[in-house]
Amino acid sequence: MSECRLVTSQLSSYVDDQLEPDRRSEVERHLEGCVSCRGQVARERGGQTVLRHHAARLREQPRPEEILPPGLRSRCESLVGEHTRAASLPGWRRTLVPTVLSVILLVFTASAIFSLATRQSDAVLAAQLTADHSKCFKLFVAGDPPVMDAHEVEEMLSREYGWKIHVPPSSDGLQLIGARRCLYADGLIPHVMYRANGQDLSLFVLNGVTRSPAQLVTFGHRSQIWTKNNTTFVLVSPSEESGRLADATRYMMKEADR
Amino acid sequence: MFGRRKRAAPDTFGSEVLGYLEPLFATAMRLTRNRADAEDLVQDTVVRALRFRDRFEPGTNLRAWLYTILHNTWRNRVRDTAREATDVDSERIEELAARADGPAEVETPERLLLRATMDADLKDALDDLPEAFRQAVWLRDVEEFSYAEIAKMLDVPIGTVMSRISRGRRQLFEKLSQSKDGAQVPVSR
Repeated sequence: MSECRLVTSQLSSYVDDQLEPDRRSEVERHLEGCVSCRGQVARERGGQTVLRHHAARLREQPRPEEILPPGLRSRCESLVGEHTRAASLPGWRRTLVPTVLSVILLVFTASAIFSLATRQSDAVLAAQLTADHSKCFKLFVAGDPPVMDAHEVEEMLSREYGWKIHVPPSSDGLQLIGARRCLYADGLIPHVMYRANGQDLSLFVLNGVTRSPAQLVTFGHRSQIWTKNNTTFVLVSPSEESGRLADATRYMMKEADR
Repeated sequence: MFGRRKRAAPDTFGSEVLGYLEPLFATAMRLTRNRADAEDLVQDTVVRALRFRDRFEPGTNLRAWLYTILHNTWRNRVRDTAREATDVDSERIEELAARADGPAEVETPERLLLRATMDADLKDALDDLPEAFRQAVWLRDVEEFSYAEIAKMLDVPIGTVMSRISRGRRQLFEKLSQSKDGAQVPVSR
C-alpha cells in the first residue's frame, strides 16, 4: 500500500515522462503487478491526451466571453504608452513615474473594489476619470502653467482631433491651462484641464452619451455628472470644496454645456 | 558642455506585455468567471508589470512572469474566502478514484479522443473540475508551463502542483467517460 502511495505521488511526473530512468523503472515494475495503479495511470494519461490534443484550439479559440474587449486593450495600450513616454523623460521628471504609477494603481484597484461593491456604472465612470485626472496632471502639468485662451483650445481640439466642443474660458479665480485627449471605455474623449486656487479641476466631455445626473466622491475627488443635448459632462475636482473652488465648480457647470 | 546623449535601445517591454493580453484575459475570465472582475484583473496585472519591470529577468519567460502576477493579484483579492476549500474536495475525489473500476472498465484514450472532439463537452468538463485542479491542468497541458513555473504562479509546493495535475487529469477523464445521463459509456475492448 505504501508503495502504491509512493507511485501515486509521482504519477504526473511518470505520465509527463519526467522521471529519472531509475525511478521510472521502479514505477514500471510496480505497475506490472498493481491493477489499481495501472488504472490510475490509464485515467491520468487519458485526461492528459485529451487536453493536449485540444490544447491549441482551447488556447486560440476562446469562448465569446473570453475574447479580449477592445476597451481593455485600449486602456492597456494607453498605460504602456504613458509608461514608455515617462521612461524617456529627463531624470528629474522620471522620478515622478513611480508616484504616477502608484496613483494609477491605487485608483484602478480602488475602482475595481468600488465596482465590485456597487456594480454601478457611475462609480466606474467616476473612478476611471479620477484616474485620468490624477495621471494627466501628474504627467503633463509641471510648476505654474500658462493660462490658455479658450478659443485657441477649441480650435486645437477641432484641428487635431475633430472635436467641436465649447471650452469654458478662464474666469475670476479659474484658469484654463490645457486640454488633452483621454481614454474612456472604447473611445477617446476630450479632457479639459483647469486650476482654481492652486487646485486641479478636469472637465471630461462624452459626446453621444446620456446619463442621469449624479454626484460621487471617489478617493478624495468629487465627480459631478450631468447631461445636456445627448452629451454627458463630468467635472472632477477635489472633494474638499470651499470658497473659490465651489464658485469655480458652479461656474463650470453653468458654462460647460452652454 | 554636455556629451551627446546615447541613443537607448528601443524599449520593447511594453509591447511584449501587450502581446499577451489575449491569453491573460482568457485566464482572468476562467479565474474570476466575471467580465468586470477579469478586466480589472488584467488591467492591474499590466500596471504591476510596468511598475515592477525591474524585477523581470530578461531572457526568462515573460509569459510565465505575467501569469504569476495575474495569479498573485487574484489570490490577494480572494484571500480569506471559501475558495481554499477545494483541497477538501480533492481528498473526496481521491477516495472515489481509488474505489473506481480498474483499467479494463474505462474507455481507451483514443476512443475518448474521438468522442471529445466536441469542444463544448471538454469545456464543460473542465468547468466542472474543482478550481485548483482546473488551474493546474490548464496551466500544464494547455498553456504548457513547467511544474516549477506553475508552483510559482499558484504559490504552492511543486509536490502539490503535481498532485493537482494528476487528480485533475483523472477527474477530467472520468467526467468525459460518462454519458450525459451519468451512465458509464460501454467499455471498449
